[in-house]
Amino acid sequence: MKSINLKENQFIQFHQKISFKFDGVKYFGYKGDTIASALLRNNISIVGRSFKYHRPRGIYTCGIEEPNALVQIISEYSEPNTRATIKKIYEGMEIESQNRWPSLENDFGSINNLFSPIFTAGFYYKTFMGPHKKFWKNLYEPLIRRAAGLGKPPKDFKGISNHIHHNVDITIIGGGLNGLLAAKSFINSNYDVLLIDFEEQLGGIINNSNKISSIDNKEPKDWLKETIQEIEDSKNIKILKNTLVTTYNYINHLIAIEDRFVGSKPIEGKVNSTLHKIRTGHTILCNGHIERFLSFQNNDLPGIMLSSSFEKYMCRYGLAPSKEPVIFSNNSNSNSLVYSLIKAGLKPKAYIDSRSGEEIEPNLFDLIRKNDVPLYTNSQIKGAFGNKKIEKILVEDSSGALNEIKCDCLCLSGGINPDVHLFTQSKGLLDWDEKDLTYKPSKPFQPTITLGSASGQFNFDNLNSDINEKLKTFKVKKLDVKLELNTNAKYNIEKLWEVSPQKKSLWAKSFIDLQNDVTTKDIRQAITEGFDRIEHLKRYTTNSMGTDQGKISSINALGIVSDLLDKKVNEVGTTIYRPPYAPLSFSAIAGRNCYEFYDPERKSPIHNWHLKNGAIFEDVGQWKRPWYFQINKDESMHDAVQRESKNVRENAGILDGSTLGKIEIKGEDALEFMNLIYTNSFTKMKQGSARYALMLGEDGMVKDDGIICKISDQHFIATTTTGGAATVLGCMEEYAQTEWPNLKVFMNSITEQYATFNISGPKTREIMKKAFPNINFSNEEFPFMTFQFHEFNGVPIRILRASFTGELGYEIYIPSNSAPKIWDNIQSFGKEFGLAPYGTEAMHLLRAEKGYIIVGQDTDGSITPIDLGLSWMIGKSKKDFLGKRSLTRSDTIREDRKQLVGIIPSNKADKLEEGQHIILDKEIKSPVPMLGHITSCYYSSTLGHDFALAVIKNGHSMIGTKAYASTSSMSTTGVDIVKPVFYDADNKRLVS
Amino acid sequence: MLIINCPYCGPRDQSEFSNGGEAHVKRPDGSKEIGDREWGEYVFIRANPKGLFYERWVHTHGCRKWFNCVRDTSTDEILVTYKLDEKKPNLNNFKSVVKTPSGEPEVGSGNFTVEK
Ligand SMILES: [Zn+2]
Repeated sequence: MKSINLKENQFIQFHQKISFKFDGVKYFGYKGDTIASALLRNNISIVGRSFKYHRPRGIYTCGIEEPNALVQIISEYSEPNTRATIKKIYEGMEIESQNRWPSLENDFGSINNLFSPIFTAGFYYKTFMGPHKKFWKNLYEPLIRRAAGLGKPPKDFKGISNHIHHNVDITIIGGGLNGLLAAKSFINSNYDVLLIDFEEQLGGIINNSNKISSIDNKEPKDWLKETIQEIEDSKNIKILKNTLVTTYNYINHLIAIEDRFVGSKPIEGKVNSTLHKIRTGHTILCNGHIERFLSFQNNDLPGIMLSSSFEKYMCRYGLAPSKEPVIFSNNSNSNSLVYSLIKAGLKPKAYIDSRSGEEIEPNLFDLIRKNDVPLYTNSQIKGAFGNKKIEKILVEDSSGALNEIKCDCLCLSGGINPDVHLFTQSKGLLDWDEKDLTYKPSKPFQPTITLGSASGQFNFDNLNSDINEKLKTFKVKKLDVKLELNTNAKYNIEKLWEVSPQKKSLWAKSFIDLQNDVTTKDIRQAITEGFDRIEHLKRYTTNSMGTDQGKISSINALGIVSDLLDKKVNEVGTTIYRPPYAPLSFSAIAGRNCYEFYDPERKSPIHNWHLKNGAIFEDVGQWKRPWYFQINKDESMHDAVQRESKNVRENAGILDGSTLGKIEIKGEDALEFMNLIYTNSFTKMKQGSARYALMLGEDGMVKDDGIICKISDQHFIATTTTGGAATVLGCMEEYAQTEWPNLKVFMNSITEQYATFNISGPKTREIMKKAFPNINFSNEEFPFMTFQFHEFNGVPIRILRASFTGELGYEIYIPSNSAPKIWDNIQSFGKEFGLAPYGTEAMHLLRAEKGYIIVGQDTDGSITPIDLGLSWMIGKSKKDFLGKRSLTRSDTIREDRKQLVGIIPSNKADKLEEGQHIILDKEIKSPVPMLGHITSCYYSSTLGHDFALAVIKNGHSMIGTKAYASTSSMSTTGVDIVKPVFYDADNKRLVS
Repeated sequence: MLIINCPYCGPRDQSEFSNGGEAHVKRPDGSKEIGDREWGEYVFIRANPKGLFYERWVHTHGCRKWFNCVRDTSTDEILVTYKLDEKKPNLNNFKSVVKTPSGEPEVGSGNFTVEK
């Protein structure tokens, strides 16, 4: 294909040369060029290899609908699958073609074209399901993995994007003729209007074609300039350019992506793209139409492009991709290309129309006659031929004779379709127009208005009345625009989807989907095999499932299918177009929510101290909790955990428990409410005392646990597990509002208002005495499970005597701001007693030695308090509480339920593993009856051996017997089933 | 994303709310004796109709209030929201919903693309 530059063009700056690299070779283009227009200027016709058969492919269109020309932008984090037809070039841009090896010209994968009889419709399904399963692994999979696919995923991710929210009355999508006229109607009205266009310049068809000769007696480009100025000056209209609306959700919620670096290299660290999230009262779709192609033998050869795209290259980019293209059409839309060519001093090599001479517009006829263009009416192209690019075509004329025409370019027009993607995304219904042979918007589901060719108005004659009628509800000023055209205004089309080939050949193909390499033969085969529903057919053949969603071809497929099935197109229906309209990158969707902002991190007020003191952190929900503290770099986790736990048993340890959920409950009926929420009874509990409590779901299963402090009958403070805080508060709110609205009770989270320190160990009392000298910590004055309020250096604190380790322990609650100081204070007083911090892992070990459960680790939503051996916690005299009735359901009173037990290896030197099964036989012989599994498992230096908690069937009655635990090496270990308490069973240390 | 009209705060984005399942399911009085079946139905069984549905929502990231609504499950259209102590609206009041023989609206269900 030999292209030529046209002299005049307002969009291309011919004085500004730009160099770029394509597959390592340096080329020049001009400022304003897209990759595609620059490549065409350099007479490059092959830009990629096709998906399955690796056939050479060229530039087919001049816009977002492009199926072939997808390239990898090496200079932008190696961004793959970029449409060459919309991406603008800049100095130093590096581009690579995709899907070829070793080079574009000599591609090894093109051998797939020879194997193509294997790759027909349903190939993947048949290979997966069929009898060739053996071949799959050895032959097909390696072959497909190497051959199929689009670009390579980028290795690096640095693109930054941000999100902007809009709340407007009206959003106009598309800044072409109709979009501009709609916006003009709203100038200086009381509506907030957003006008969005995908391109850098507003104007659409006015810029892209020579269809319009004058508007209001002005040159179209002068009118355009004036109108855009008026809109820009209007205070109520905001224009977003370079912005593509990709998604139309419920309740007029639109997603649009704005490219912030059009025609220049994105600057690292700056926002590359903006995702606009728009909520609008009404949406006005003015997003125009898309030209479709035609199917015939080798309709994919480089050098073939859509006729309106050829015209767009001329008008928009000052470039004729070829000096003398052949035009093949079945409709009036390609008239203006003939006009544009002749206006530019060029002419078509031939004009071929499937319509008869009478149907062809008289002014086109005159133009063709006057300029001696060879005209073929009632004719069809049987096939295109050439080595890697088009060289000749075969035309069957009205007499049935075959004519060979040599050419380097063929322009196709198979008719036009309203761009209905967004309309169908909005859930609107379409209707088939038998005259214009296309689906048009018919019933909107949302407040959606369609104007111009997006609504199926392919003629300009009722432009004013259509807009005035559809915008009537807004009571804006009426339009009266005078439009003169260069070509015939009446859209006319004859039905033609596919031309059957002259000679049958296995290798010469007639494509229906260029991006996914689907042929018309695949469609036939799918129907023969019974996939005659359009949604089935789409998936079976992968027709229109590429990233272009078959924008130029999906309607053709419906036409072919309806003919094959002898059904009306409306009966065949159309597949649903899914968002996004065009691919958008994950980095745009992620916006700023990446890296450290991906998920909020919650840190305790003591976090900085942990950082300085060797803490290794563990994520608990969103919280960062010290897992263990390393005293030096060489200390292993095992050593650190054993050291920390031993120190708690022998001296004293301190744990930062600030992450525990804390809920304050107040109100006249707080006592009654707490009695309903938790299993325990709080009625007889003394003020100033605390109680370990369980919360159940209505199904009777343990949902959370915590300690309840009773300040008075009208005032409680509850702690929850770290992960359960929000759920417990949510549950309390739900029941307070929905089931017991008569109870006067209020609750709120105070988790972040208070830090919590858990100090425990035999020397704790000595440390507390030193740290808080005014408080009497004697057993008589401060017994187990009581709490006191005090003031310490002007800071109000609450101290609770409780323990999760089995040792003497206190929990100190301090307002977060004052917490670091008091923490430091305790550290300095504790030094002489050997006080050391411990992390969550040592805490887990210590509590397991004591047999204390962790909700979510030792329970899994199918364990009742009775299963845990915690029946004593159930307030049996209470009339009601959450889940009470479920504890006597036939299922929960079964005796063979899984119950909590302790496990120790019969041979103390043996190891146990968390998650392993408890079974009865030493030999593993399938089927193995599984009793249950190990929920928690640790080595204890206090005990000197491994121990575990487990839930096993009928566990309580199995205590004292022997069983086996499976191991990850597929053998078994003999174990003793014991009571789930391994340390200080009579609680002497706890209450002393 | 839906817009939900909180009866206390006004229309807000769906992301501020959490769904609470079927509305107007009364918790049986725990102080009275009831059978396994009746209790089991309260705990485990909820309606899941295609079409109009009484539903509970909570304005989690807002006023934390629970409220009820009528939603068409086949289009996701929320027809009305109301406070917990308000009477539940009669479903026959919502005549605007067009039904096909299979029980879903022609427009907006997402299962139809072409007008029949
Ligand atoms: Zn609210």
